Amino acid sequence: MSSQPISFYERVNTALDDTSLKTALNRATERFVGNRAGALRALSDANGLRDAARAIRAGALAQLDTLLVQLAERVEARGGHVCWASDAAEAQRYIVNLAQARQVRSIVKSKSMASEEIHLNQALEAAGVQVVETDLGEYIIQLAGETPSHIIAPSIHKTREQVSELFHQHLGVPPTDDIPTMTQTARRALRQRFLQADMGISGVNFGVADEGAVVIVENEGNARLSTSVPRIHVAIMGIERIVAHMEDLGVMLQVLARSATGQKLSVYTSIINGPARPGEADGPEEFHLVLLDNGRSKMLGSQYAEALLCIRCGACLNACPVYQAIGGHAYGGVYSGPIGAVLTPILQPDLPDVYLLPQASSLCGACQEVCPVRIAIPDLLLRHRADAVKAGKAHPIEQAAMSSYKRMMTNPFLYRAAGRAARNGSRLIGRKGRIRRLPPPLHTWSRGRDFPTLPAKSFSEMWEEEN
Amino acid sequence: MTRSQILANLHTSLASNRPWLEAVARSAPHSIPPYVMPAADDLDAQFMAELHAIAGMAYPVADERAALTQIAALLADRPSPQIIAWEVEQIGLAGLAALLDQQGVTLATSDLHGTSRSAHLQNMEPLAICISGVEAGIAESGSLVLRHGPGRPRLASLLAPCHIAILRRSQLVRGLGEALALLRNRYGEEIFTSTSNLTLITGPSRTADIEMTLSLGIHGPPEVHVVLVG
Ligand code: SF4
Repeated sequence: MSSQPISFYERVNTALDDTSLKTALNRATERFVGNRAGALRALSDANGLRDAARAIRAGALAQLDTLLVQLAERVEARGGHVCWASDAAEAQRYIVNLAQARQVRSIVKSKSMASEEIHLNQALEAAGVQVVETDLGEYIIQLAGETPSHIIAPSIHKTREQVSELFHQHLGVPPTDDIPTMTQTARRALRQRFLQADMGISGVNFGVADEGAVVIVENEGNARLSTSVPRIHVAIMGIERIVAHMEDLGVMLQVLARSATGQKLSVYTSIINGPARPGEADGPEEFHLVLLDNGRSKMLGSQYAEALLCIRCGACLNACPVYQAIGGHAYGGVYSGPIGAVLTPILQPDLPDVYLLPQASSLCGACQEVCPVRIAIPDLLLRHRADAVKAGKAHPIEQAAMSSYKRMMTNPFLYRAAGRAARNGSRLIGRKGRIRRLPPPLHTWSRGRDFPTLPAKSFSEMWEEEN
Repeated sequence: MTRSQILANLHTSLASNRPWLEAVARSAPHSIPPYVMPAADDLDAQFMAELHAIAGMAYPVADERAALTQIAALLADRPSPQIIAWEVEQIGLAGLAALLDQQGVTLATSDLHGTSRSAHLQNMEPLAICISGVEAGIAESGSLVLRHGPGRPRLASLLAPCHIAILRRSQLVRGLGEALALLRNRYGEEIFTSTSNLTLITGPSRTADIEMTLSLGIHGPPEVHVVLVG
């Protein structure tokens, strides 16, 4: 990202030096890991549900061309508009032009990683349109002038003290350490924004081809407000985020909620089909669906196609010892954590030292074990590493790199985090013994040094033994 | 044209990877489980326990008269001359119109498509209560399924801090899979013909964005009261 010209290693070092980041990550990832494990344990057949989720997503990708056409046709048949955008610039241009043509002055946005991918806020603000992020976490980081650090919990890196200070500065409320008080402050501040907005912009969790619908999942109600109150709703969807049938949601919504936050279902699931019908009191007069390619259609034919199964639940971030130690921003791209390390080199290939991201992993396998669609993330990371070598980008390990990795892997916080995760059921680190070698490029300094073991058994195997 | 370029890329990509994707697609059945938790004997009890666990309130009542008494009590605690609600016939609870009359409560105009859009929104904003019916209730997650449409505004479960929903015992299903099957059976291909929106509501609005600490009512209602009738 151009706003972060410093190198990956510098970002890692900065993150490792940031003690409040450590506190915040510590408090948050611990909770996520425990919630997820509990929610899955309660299921009658968690593994069956994950297998079905993977199969359903693969089936949809296998016919992505026809499903996208079907989705677009059905949206249009209901009076909605569809924009096919091959890259960020096209998606941006469509939305900015639409806002200008409709004399839009203010926009409320609910969380959308795809909109981060196309840097939409900057483009709209440059065109003189006010954009307010309405998801609490996104609102906090917008006030702070930062970017999300986690797919599900964008402000995971902020402590309550920092949030209180931001609200004090920007909203003029007295400082407090009471979180519900901060929540009510945000509710009041954002309510009028919703009522006055001309346009609402949302992401899309799933496009449903057979109904021509988009599904938006959230806990706060800001997506419902953004898509129900303003005159215009624009939904931005990565082209791969599709299922063939509405019934498929019977699997996908359940694995998404459980993997993301440990809920049985998220608080609100909106299934939206076009603009308001005659006689409907609310809902938008105009509905626009932006289908964002941005490298995905080519990725589908590559050795990284499997990563397109991802449903952005964030479980792999929470399970990842590296993410737990450095947080999301150090990755530099829109998507962080293990899946970010796979996606960013493809979706944002121009980022400086993007080829290093796939190396920021000990390949411990925790990400694949928790992934609800069982993406073989470590394998995809290895393919990236091999590609980087082939392209002549991967150099022998530099001194700077060495010291970053050394700090990361010898950070006591990392081992505490991993230990907690183990007690909470995902058992990142095995019980017996130590390992003597780390995979490349970490191996050069792992020689002669002991590290905790990688899991000897898969998560599912241990789970079956324990239950 | 961008559309044809994207589709052309997809064709090329699928020419190489479709066999692999299809093999993964065949690796497990796509069958949608009607429910996913161990089956409970008593759906009412399961629904209420799940709703309580996520900080919602449930009031089991024997009949419509008792439902009205319960609603009257909720209204009395939150005096509001106007409420945001579905049209009374869409809620389908006999005596509700008379109860609202008797309490001097009227329905706010929620039509955002006419000329007074902004005035209606500002009028609704301070109101204390939303009332809606539901299409179904999901026992194993404590969820409500709302099919919006004419006479069934979305804001009637969203804008005010207290959402009262009327659910019949006969509307309870076990799981999400069953709820989706019920919609398909009832409406076939016409689920969205007269409505642009289906919403599942699972408890009060919540956020954990600050230090993963739960707080209720960030944007939607902090209170969800389900009157379970029959
Ligand atoms: S890769 Fe898997 S675990 Fe990670 S966000 Fe995507 S679906 Fe979730």
